[in-house]
Order: sequence, then structure tokens, then C-alpha cells
Amino acid sequence: MESHWLSLLDVSIDFDQSHLFFPRIVTWVLVILLGLILVTRYRRVMPGIQRAGRVLAGREGHFDHKRFFGTLILTTLYFYLMGVLSDVFPNTGYSFLIMSVVFVLSLSLLYLDRFTPRLLTIVILNALIAPTLAWYVLSQLFRITLP
Amino acid sequence: MDILSHLTPLFFGLIAAGTLIGIIFGAIPGMTATMAVAVCLPLTYAFGLENGIALLLGLYVGGISGGMVPAVLLNIPGTPSSITTTFDGYPMAQRGEGERALKTGIVASIFGGLFSAAVLFFFAPVLSDFAIQFSNVEKFLIILLALTVIASLCSNMLMGIFSGVLGVWLSLIGTYSIMDGGNGETRLMFDWMEYHLIDGFSLLPVLIGIFGLTTVLLDAENGFKDEAAQGPISLKNGKRFSFGVFKGQLTNLVRSSGIGTFVGMLPGVGGSAASVLAYSQEKNFSRDSSQMGKGAPQGIVSSESSNNALTGGALVPLLSLGIPGDSTTAILIGAFTLQGIQVGPLFIGNNLDTWYLMIIALVVANFLMFGIMYFAIRRIAKVVEVPKYILYPLIIMMCVVGAYAINYGIMFDVWTLLIFGLFGWVAHKIGLEVVPLIIGFILGKSAEVYFVKSLESYGNFSIFFTKSPIAMVLWALIAVSLAFAIYLRLRNRRETRTTTVS
Repeated sequence: MESHWLSLLDVSIDFDQSHLFFPRIVTWVLVILLGLILVTRYRRVMPGIQRAGRVLAGREGHFDHKRFFGTLILTTLYFYLMGVLSDVFPNTGYSFLIMSVVFVLSLSLLYLDRFTPRLLTIVILNALIAPTLAWYVLSQLFRITLP
Repeated sequence: MDILSHLTPLFFGLIAAGTLIGIIFGAIPGMTATMAVAVCLPLTYAFGLENGIALLLGLYVGGISGGMVPAVLLNIPGTPSSITTTFDGYPMAQRGEGERALKTGIVASIFGGLFSAAVLFFFAPVLSDFAIQFSNVEKFLIILLALTVIASLCSNMLMGIFSGVLGVWLSLIGTYSIMDGGNGETRLMFDWMEYHLIDGFSLLPVLIGIFGLTTVLLDAENGFKDEAAQGPISLKNGKRFSFGVFKGQLTNLVRSSGIGTFVGMLPGVGGSAASVLAYSQEKNFSRDSSQMGKGAPQGIVSSESSNNALTGGALVPLLSLGIPGDSTTAILIGAFTLQGIQVGPLFIGNNLDTWYLMIIALVVANFLMFGIMYFAIRRIAKVVEVPKYILYPLIIMMCVVGAYAINYGIMFDVWTLLIFGLFGWVAHKIGLEVVPLIIGFILGKSAEVYFVKSLESYGNFSIFFTKSPIAMVLWALIAVSLAFAIYLRLRNRRETRTTTVS
């Protein structure tokens, strides 16, 4: 009798399909858990989404749009242009160096609260020196691959 | 005596450099030991395994220790694990005893660090010897246990479990590798993604994204407003530090270090849990806890010894089972893989020299941390003032290097950084738990291999319950950890209800 019950748990995995066996189980578990979360806290989910929408739209709460989206856009541009430029100077790290100087400078300027000559000098010097130093140490001394 | 040949000036120099950089990262609010390790990873590519480990362990110890500086001076924990240091450290600093508070913390830290290094040294090999007997079934159950423990200790268990499973799911994207006995087919993606995702997402860019870029995004969203609202306060006006502070603190030191080490061993349980637990135990058990929270050195002792004891503790499951104990060791696992080292039960036996070097590096890092912080604390205290507009652009830049160089120049790894940086931000917003997610991501692929292999060999699901006594014990542990979490939740709910009623 016992063996009959155990045979219900028998499983044979077809090698050709074995790559889908575990992912299917995990996906199902994930879907069930998501369902549980939605069922147990549906009262909090919808207002939460609405509130997030209002915050993102700038109608509620504190959200620094300029700095947040500025960071995202600058970072995306930084990565994209670095890729483009590395085709121009392959295997030298120059693309990394040039784009990093531009990126560090623009992001620092974005984060600055007020612009005084002293702060601007510090920011510009930092943007010139730090990436150059990083490029020299990593790519020239340590021979690490840079874009 | 091969090991002596590795103990070069470079080895010790790198430990010192790592410790110093770690302390600086830890001392800057919002930047953690995890971030220090993530950002400095590219530097280790250039060194061999031994020297790379020296740097990483220095960063780890320094990063955890540096967290006390802003905790005491600004009332902001530099790393999550120094949260309880603020309870007594800041009141002391307000009385002008900042230096006394910091030095008390430093001495407690080195005690905790060395205590846990000793536990690591004696306990990890025993655990590995035991774990060598594990078959695929037990290995799968160990991973299941690890994920259950992590999830059950999250503030919201359902979200914790969901996050862990989501991490596993993300790790399965890519090929079911032939090297692991798979069939080499891809899954969980569309055809057009195959070019980039044939090997799935690389571990380190994912980690660097979630721990580096996410932090920057979260702070950018705040507009850097809460930066050092009040300037750092003067370090010394009041009572000076003397070792007399530690009179009668031995029990506290040993208990807190023990708690820290133990919590460190539990996979995925963050540092804050260790220090909060140690702090509350000191409050419960000490003869006089009336001053705790108002500036009592004993609070700093328990908090700092426990959070430094995490370091050795978190390395125990990493080195003996291949399961990271916290988010920093999660990055270490990536660094090891990079150096061609597979951590797991066989690691210590097969790499005896590396193992001894790690212990040496850990002990030396603790002493160097003590030396640097004890004698240069006033200079380090200045670090809390470094502005974010200088630091954050450089952090993103270093993240790029780390991600790009990991597979010797793949631009997609840099994009992975951005994808997961943004994902980490969203996860934070919708209440996903990052640590279970990461641990799930790291262990997911192995879990699949152990699970499928077990079923291929035995052909029946019941094997997971009946394979061996160890398997049954593991199931019992899984049940206990779930039951414990549910019990805690119910108790908390009852307590909140009583307080609201009364």
C-alpha cells in the first residue's frame, strides 16, 4: 500500500527538457507567492501604487526629480557613449578616461547645492584628477581591461 | 612552508590599505563595507588570489569597524550594524566624550573580531568535514534551509520568501550548463536576448549594481538633504578614555561577541540583527543597565564587539558550505570565483595554504584596524565631512570598472549594473528584501543542479525526505525556523494589540 502511495511521487526527467524542469517549478512557486501577497495585502497594494504614482508625478511627498532622473539619464548616457567611443579607441581605456571625466564633472554639478568659485574649482579638479588617476593605476599599472 | 613565501610586504601592505579604505568607507554615512568591497574589486583582478584576499578581508574588517565613527559623532550609523552604537555613543559625544566613546568601541571591535576569527579557525574545518558527506539531496536541503532562515527573519516573511525565490528565478536565466550535467539549452528568455544572456547575468555586476548604484539612486532621490545636519561635535572635553572602562565588561564582551559570531553564521542575516540582539541581551542581563541609552560605555561595548564578530562568523558558512553569511561575503564569493576558487566543503582541505593565509589576514586586519583607528581617530573623524557630490560620481565610475573588467571587457555587464541598480531601487520601494534576493541569486543555479540530479538518480520526490537522517534533521530545522518566525510574528502582533488597547 505504502509503495503505491510513494509511486505517486515518481518523476522522470526527460533530458531534452531538463533545462525547463526546475525553472517551471520556481516560476509556479513565484506565481503562487505573488498571489498570496496580493490576496493578503490587497488593501495596501492599490493605495501604495497610487501613492507611488503621485510621488513620481511630484504631487506628493519629497522626491528630488532633477537629481534622481538626472542621475539615471547621465548614467545611461555615460554607459552608452562609453560603448560607442570604445569602438573608436579599442583596448586603450581612452574611452573610459574621456567619458569618466565628463560624467564625474556633470554628476558633481548636478549634485551641487550652490555654485561658488571655490566649490567649482574643487569639482573640476576632482573630475580631472580622479578619473585620470583611476585610468593610470588600473589600465597602465595593473593592465586591467577598460572600455 | 610554502605559506611563508606568501607573507610578503605586499600582502601586509594590501591588508593595511584595505583596512584603511574600509574604515573610510564605513565612516562615510550611507556607504557600507559591502560597497567598499564592491568598489575595490577591480583592484583585486590585478593581484593573485592571496593578495586579493588580503585586500578584501582588510576592506571587510575596516568597513564594519568604520561604521562607528558617524554613529558616535553624527548619530547616523555608518553601516547598518552600528545602529546600536548610536544609542550610547552619541549621548557620550554630546557630553564631549566622543573620543572616549570611539576608543571604547575600537577596543570592543578588536575583541569581537579576534574572537570570531578564532571561532572561524576552529569551527569551519569541522563543519566542512561534516558537509563533505553530503550528497546532492542534503546540499539542496541546506540551500533550502538557508533561504528559509533568511526569509523567516525578514520583517515580512512572505515578502522575504518571495524575494528569495525571485533571486533563484533570476539566477536561472541563461543556459542549463553542460558543465553541470545540463543539456545546454537556454530558458526564461526570448530568442533575441540569447546573444547577451547566454550565460545569464554575471554575479558581480548584479551585486555591484544593487549595492553601489542603488545607494546612489536612493540618495539622489532625497536630494542629499539629510547630510550632516549638525556639524561633527568636538571630540574631547569630558572624561578621557582609559582601559578602566572595560572593568567588569568581560562577560558583556564574550556574550556579545558570541552573539555576533552566531548571527553572522546564519546566512543572510544582516549586521543590524546581531548588534540589536547583543545590545538587548546586555540590557536584560547586566547588573546595572539603567544608564544604557543615555551614554553608557557598556552599550558601545556590546554593539561594537558583536558587529565586528560578524566578520569571522559570516565567513564560516561561506568557506565550509559555500553559502554567504551576509551581503559582504556574497561579494567575496564572487571574488573567489573570479580567482578560480570554488568555495564549499572541499575548499579548506584542498587549499590549506589559502585557508591559513585568510586567517592570518583576518587577524592582521583586526590589529591594523585597531592601530589605525586608535591612533588616528581624530583624522578619521574628519572623513564624515567628505561631500557626496565628490564621492558618488567616483563610486559609479569604479562600479563601471568592476563590472566591465569582470569578464575581460563585456559592455553588457556594465548595462547589467544599470539594470540591477534600478531594480534595486524599485525593490527597495515596493518592499522586496534585497538580502534574500541576493542569496537566492547566488545559490539558485546550484540548487537547480542538486535538485535535478537528485531526482534523476532516484526518480522519486520522496527521496528528499528519506535519503538520510541528516536530510530529516534539515527538514526539522526548516520547520523549526518557520515555526519560530510565525511564533515571533504572532507575539509581536499580540503585543502591539495590547499596547494599542491600553
